[in-house]
Amino acid sequence: MSFLPSQRIAITGAGIVSPLGLGWEANERALAADRSAFKPVDFFDTSGLIAKTGGVVDLPAENPFHSIPPRKQGNVDRGTRMLLLAIREALAQAGRNGMEGIDALVVGTSAGAMPLGEAYFESARHDPGRVPSQLSRAEHYQPQRQMNSIADEFGWRGPIIIVSNACASGANAIGWAADMIRSGRCKRVLAGGFDAIARLVFAGFDSLRALAPSGIPRPFDAQRDGLALGEGAGVMLLEAEDARQSDALGDVTGYSTATDLHHLTQPDPEGKAAIRTMTNACVQAGVSPAQIGYINSHGTGTPFNDVAEASAIAAWAGDAVSTIPVSSTKSAMGHLLGGAGAVEAVICLMALRGQWLPASLNVRTIDPAVRFDLVQKFRQARFEHALTNSFGFGGTNATLVLQRRSA
Amino acid sequence: MNLEGIHIRGVGAVSAAGWTGADLLRTVREGNPLPAVNCARPGDERTWPCPVRLVPPPPPDKTARHPRMRRSSSITRYSVAAALGALADAGHDPAAPPPGLGILYVMMNGCVNYTGRFFNEVLQNPAQASPLIFPETVFNAPASHIASFLGIDGVVSTLVGNPTMIVEALDTAAFWIRSGIVEECLIIAAEECDWLSAEALTYYHPKLIASEGAGALLLSAKDSGQRVHEVIGPLCYTTWDERAALLPDLAAQTRAKLTGDAILIDDRCGIDRIDRAEQAAWSGAPWQAVRSPKLILGESLGAATVLQLVLGTLEARDTRQPVVVSMPGANTAAYACVITP
Repeated sequence: MSFLPSQRIAITGAGIVSPLGLGWEANERALAADRSAFKPVDFFDTSGLIAKTGGVVDLPAENPFHSIPPRKQGNVDRGTRMLLLAIREALAQAGRNGMEGIDALVVGTSAGAMPLGEAYFESARHDPGRVPSQLSRAEHYQPQRQMNSIADEFGWRGPIIIVSNACASGANAIGWAADMIRSGRCKRVLAGGFDAIARLVFAGFDSLRALAPSGIPRPFDAQRDGLALGEGAGVMLLEAEDARQSDALGDVTGYSTATDLHHLTQPDPEGKAAIRTMTNACVQAGVSPAQIGYINSHGTGTPFNDVAEASAIAAWAGDAVSTIPVSSTKSAMGHLLGGAGAVEAVICLMALRGQWLPASLNVRTIDPAVRFDLVQKFRQARFEHALTNSFGFGGTNATLVLQRRSA
Repeated sequence: MNLEGIHIRGVGAVSAAGWTGADLLRTVREGNPLPAVNCARPGDERTWPCPVRLVPPPPPDKTARHPRMRRSSSITRYSVAAALGALADAGHDPAAPPPGLGILYVMMNGCVNYTGRFFNEVLQNPAQASPLIFPETVFNAPASHIASFLGIDGVVSTLVGNPTMIVEALDTAAFWIRSGIVEECLIIAAEECDWLSAEALTYYHPKLIASEGAGALLLSAKDSGQRVHEVIGPLCYTTWDERAALLPDLAAQTRAKLTGDAILIDDRCGIDRIDRAEQAAWSGAPWQAVRSPKLILGESLGAATVLQLVLGTLEARDTRQPVVVSMPGANTAAYACVITP
């Protein structure tokens, strides 16, 4: 494999919606306070499930879509609303009123507008006759139709690319967008990921016994017993350095993706694909492991994931491993699935800007596989490069490397 | 978009016409719509017709054997067969795929059979919902299975959306190849039919006939095979009125690239309300032939555009004529391209 030149891809805006809060400042405050955000999931019946809590976003009561009349607001899924809020923040941060001048929108999602599909299914199952409202459900269940709502909101027309590589989708979307700029096709791309908690997905992880029965995820704890699901959206405005129209907050300097063939849902115990993505992303970024000042790990809190990732980080970092700070912000907000990689990339950017490290919460005894510096409390730090890992069902592994720019 | 220097070295297809690209080409050329059957519904209480055109049972040599294939649903089986067909068409030994192969996978509806089955279990009793089925509901499960089947541990990515998303996949694959990220890239799009998606189509129009299948294109920088010579688009829209307004421009831009006779492969499905804008946009040109695969096969959603591209590649190869592929899309973006021999 050869590697693309390390063209500078500037991040000129970022937006984040997570269970910790709406927007950069709210999330920064929550992370600085080592706060977590889990509460009962009440959009659907959780009786019969082992887990009953998740990282739930408190969306504002008013609908953020101004272009959609009230009678059609139900066509917009909860996750799409989160995405719109994150896009608005990213654009505002870049000093933009809208999406004019944006060459493409690249979005990662795992579930899309799953609740609308669930409603279609339930209606069809209960009524064998023709139900006129089914057309709207069938139409708006499609993820690209949801993205059209966003395009309409800004009066924007441009290519919309939806990446769906399970839990790596958000990171892959940012990497895809960076590639679109590197290829010369685009100068300016909005990229990110989102997912809202959906009944099918929640029950699916529950069926796999992947959810922590207590509802508290403990990534890298020796007695960890599962993840917590969450929801949210993260977005970055990426611009070619030579076409940048606003101040850069940081840069995407490295990206790599690879496939773990071990199993559909379980990682290779040695994390071989993760070693490759971390290695290749750092080669593209032109940095060594010792120069990485923070890793936002995939860190789900499941027994299999965390030991594989810890092994991979150790193998990739070599002698430098003990000096590299690592945490999992999923411990505070849960696993945001298709939104995770993008939200965690935004957190890396926030950390680089603020020169701080978010914590891995809820750890009682550190797993013996951990050889890195597990950050257990929020702390200040001086560093120039951050790396974030995302691993998904199907074996998709993705790594992004971000670089600081002085404030 | 820049597909300069990139060739389609091999194609494969699984469709209602059969399990090979040759089946697709022959059936579409014959021009007779395939027979449709009524789609079965659990409880079988449907009060309106819901015809479908399904992929026929596989011939023995198309039944792929691999541990991952034991539980996989039809979308994966179609995809594997199409991918193996494309590799063989390119002269590769499917049992030993070339190194540096990447996969880009495109779908619109996805793994609907397992998704419906799993959600039904969740509604009945979530405590007994099958943990074996849930992972098969994820959009990228088929791509993962193909990667495992072929032993591809490099870049494998799944895109979801409008059927024309495959053109974006072509662009990205070309970039990956030029950049050395992959040596060659399989572009696969697929769909499987179930009663829910078949019924959904009838809400758009009662005469829309759901279908299914998969197509695969092997893209390479090696100097053999057909070329996607010109790509026009994306022309982006969010409503059908916008789409209708854009299509004449799409056709005019495409025609401007042609210097002689060409074959047109369009997206028409046989329903005037849906076809009108596309038909008007491309009319008035003396096409050497017009092929409309949806008229013959039915509406296979995410697989429809790749089947057009496979057909276009085979037509260009066989006739030595340029082939225009009209890809107006369903709800986000329209494209057209010219495939040259």
